[in-house]
Parts: sequence; C-alpha cells; structure tokens
Amino acid sequence: MNRRLNSRRLGDILSHAYIWFCLILFVTPFAALLSYSFTGSQGSYAVQNFQYVFGSFGNNLWWSFKISGLTLLLDLLIALPASYALVRYPFPGKQVLFSALTLPLYVPGAVIGIALVLTYNFTYHLTSSIWGLVMAMTVGTFPLMLTPIVVALKDLPVAFEEAAQCLGATKWQTYWRVVFPLIGPGISAGLLLSFIIVFNEYLVTLFVHPPGVTTAPLRVFNLVRTAGLLPTTAALAVTMQLISFVAVLAFFRIFGTRYLKGTYLI
Amino acid sequence: MLALIIPAILLTILFLYYPLVFIFRMSFTLTDSFLSPSGPIFTLENYRAMTGRYLSNVWVTIKLAGLSTLVNLIFGFPFAYILVRKVRYRDLVRGFMVFPMFGALYVAFGMRFVLLPGGMATPLLNALGIANTQALYSLPSVVFAMSIFTFPFMVMNIGTALSNVDPTLEEAAACLGARPLQTFWRVLLPLTRSGLIAGALMVFGWNVGTFAEPLLLGTINEQKSLAWTLYQRGVVQTDYGLSTAMGVVLLILAFAVTYFSLRYSHGALVE
Repeated sequence: MNRRLNSRRLGDILSHAYIWFCLILFVTPFAALLSYSFTGSQGSYAVQNFQYVFGSFGNNLWWSFKISGLTLLLDLLIALPASYALVRYPFPGKQVLFSALTLPLYVPGAVIGIALVLTYNFTYHLTSSIWGLVMAMTVGTFPLMLTPIVVALKDLPVAFEEAAQCLGATKWQTYWRVVFPLIGPGISAGLLLSFIIVFNEYLVTLFVHPPGVTTAPLRVFNLVRTAGLLPTTAALAVTMQLISFVAVLAFFRIFGTRYLKGTYLI
Repeated sequence: MLALIIPAILLTILFLYYPLVFIFRMSFTLTDSFLSPSGPIFTLENYRAMTGRYLSNVWVTIKLAGLSTLVNLIFGFPFAYILVRKVRYRDLVRGFMVFPMFGALYVAFGMRFVLLPGGMATPLLNALGIANTQALYSLPSVVFAMSIFTFPFMVMNIGTALSNVDPTLEEAAACLGARPLQTFWRVLLPLTRSGLIAGALMVFGWNVGTFAEPLLLGTINEQKSLAWTLYQRGVVQTDYGLSTAMGVVLLILAFAVTYFSLRYSHGALVE
C-alpha cells in the first residue's frame, strides 16, 4: 500500500515537472530575445536598445497600430450585421455560407499574399495605397472576429429582444441597447484575437505592403534577413510580444478565458 | 434582412475568392506572359515543373509539416492529459501558452539566439558534443520551432476531447485489472480519436505554409519550403506562372487537410 502511494506521488511530481518543462520551452524563444535585447554593443547592459525602439522604430510601431486599428474597425463594421443575420434570420444554405466566410482562416498566408499582390497589381490598382494592406488584413482576420460574435449571439435568448420590442423599442434601439451590451464579451474576444494576428502579421504584409509602409513585424523580418542579429531588433520583437501579451492578460482579467473557447486561443 | 450580410460576402469575394480564381487562371500561363500586350500564352508547363523540377519542394513542405505534426502529437497528448486531469493552475498555463501564438517569426528569431554560439543552448549542445552551427541550421531546429508554434492548437483539440471523457472510465479499467498502458490504448485513445485527428490535421494545415522557420533556422534543403520558394519566384524573380502554380499546390495541400479536419472536429472547433 505504501509503495503504491509512493509511486503515485512520484507520478504526480513527474506530471507537473513535464508541464513545467513544456512551459519553459514555450517561453525560451521569448526569454532569449529578452536577454539579448539587454546587451549593448560593448557587451554592456543597455536600455538604449529600447530607447532605439521608440525612436528609430517608432515609425514602424505607429504603422502597426494604425493598420491594426483600421482593420479592427472594418472587421467590426462588417462582422456585427453579418453575425446578426446569420444567427437570427433563417435562410437556405446558411451553413455553407458560414463555412465560405470562415475559409480565409485556412488559406496559407503566402497564398493570400501572392493572390492579392497580383490582383492589386493588375486588376484593382491598389498597390500604392494602405487600403490594400488593410483589406488584406481584414479578410484574413474576419473569421476570427465573426466566430466569437456568432457564438455569443447564439447563447443569447431571443426573449430579451422580444421583451424590448414589446415595450416599444425600435429594432435599432433593441440592437444597441439590449443585444450589443449583452454580446460585449464575444465582441471583445473577436477584437483581441484579430488584434493579436494583425499586430504581429509579417507574411501577407511582406507581399502587399505599399512602398514606404513598413510595419514593426515586417521590420523585424527584414532586419533579421539582411542585417543579421542585432540587439535592437530583438528589443523590437520583445516590445511587440509584450504589447500583445498585455492585451491578452487584460482580456483574461476582465472577461476570463470562457469567451475564447473553441477559437484561436484555448 | 439579408442585406446585413452583403458586406461580408463582398469582402470575401473581392479579396479572397476572386484573387484565388485569378491566380488559378494565371498558373496556366507562361512565366510573365500574362502581362504581354499580345495576350497570355496558356501552357501546362508550370504544373509539369511542379511534378518534375519542383517535386522535391513539395516533398520538403509535406515532410516538415508531417514531422512537426508528429512531434506535436507525441508531446501534446500527455500534456493535454495532465492539464485536464491534474493541473489546477490552468490559467497560468494558458498565460504561458499564449507566447508561441504571437507568431512563428518571433519563435524562429528567438530560437536563433538560443542556438547561436554562446546562446542559452550552448552548454547543452556541448554536453551532447554537437557544434552550434550544426544545430542552428538543421532539420531538427526547424521542426522544433514549427512544433512550438503549433503546440497550443494541438493541446486545445486533444484537451477538448479529453475533457469529454469521464475519469471514472479509467478507474473502471484499472479496477478490472488493466495496466496504465492498456488503459491508454484501449480506453483513452479510441475515445479521443476525433480530437487527435482534428488536432493533427489542423497543425498540419497551419504548418504547410511555413515561411520564417526554414528561412531563419534551416539549411538550403529546408528552405525549399513552398511558401518561401513561391515568394522568391513570384515577387523577386517575377515568374508569375510558376509562383501561382506553387500557390495552387499549397492551397490544395492546406484545403485537403482542412476539409478532413472540419469533418472530424465537430465539437472541438465549434464548442
């Protein structure tokens, strides 16, 4: 009996050790970048690297925030009415339509990139405007915005809307004052997921970015490819990951992890 | 009321389906003849190259995605099992697991520092008698980076399947005299099969388009990955015919697995 108890405890210890081993592996790339970003040119401890990020790379960060903001706004404007129609109105072929709308998620980035850069060149003539890049990001993240909102709407009983309308609210009032606040967590989940993807996207951007526009992840990619390994590049990558991490943590604190179930993040 | 959904349909048609049809048509034209004033020259040459000269690129892509899927399966199952059955600090685990999801670029970039001479892995590599450069530019390091990037997806799929399995089933198996390995093979594995398949296909689908990892961590052989070759041929050398044909092959690879993963993942993805 005693031996069995001991072997069980050993199993537990090994289990937790395995989990921690994997977790350490997950953060190893980040930790390596972090430690390297603190080294200076003469091997000295250098916060100058991070000053450099907000100085010389400030422009790139600004582009990243701008592209992310525009993309999220467009995503939301398109996904809100679409999700409502998908959940609340019956029409034939709904499942097929939903699948067709969420398919962009499964198209490899390089394929979206080459397809868009060629159509922008030869058909749409969008290569020199930032809207080409914004539309590319929007179509890629649209499924991530749509899915959590659809899930949230499905969980919301129709009774609330019926009650509001019985009390004399117009359709518009019902949506903004009853439905919208109640699906708020779903909307925030969509915003978070899309933000993380757009903010860190470099692959599609590499194909379709207009001349003169370099987002921060693209700058990281270009610098790693051409300038080799620099502590300042590591500092930029660390900054990007920290901003994304803070966004995720804030979401976890406010809404918990429930609303991200079944989506991109656990 | 269907007017509400029209912007969404327009968005996907204009910026996804039409461009995909566009490159499909282009993949049957000779190099950059699509632009020539005398009209495009249609040919099957690009697909002949894909099954001839560039066949090894297709194989390398499948090999990289397949190996990383295998690594994810082997290490993901115990991880998901322990996470679902024994771990109470799950939010902490979620916090850690978010890091790889910020992108393969940062993972590959970070791994380069780890494997660099004087990097974090140097003592370990020395103990094993491997030179840094040997480890830095190699197949295992590419597969390792790809596996880290997709590990959370695998754990998510297996974990969902596992949390639907009643723990008393395992106790019953143990009471009836099954050893742990038997319980795993004959109880757990059959019950979580759909999650395992869905996770494997999802990871494969994501990793088929691998770009940064082979470029930053691989040898010339791993850099044959389709996504990277497509970029080189298309954007750098403007051989539109060939690069769009590569895009079509890559799309077919990703879609074939996605189709099956959606069939198997009912519950895992939607629930």
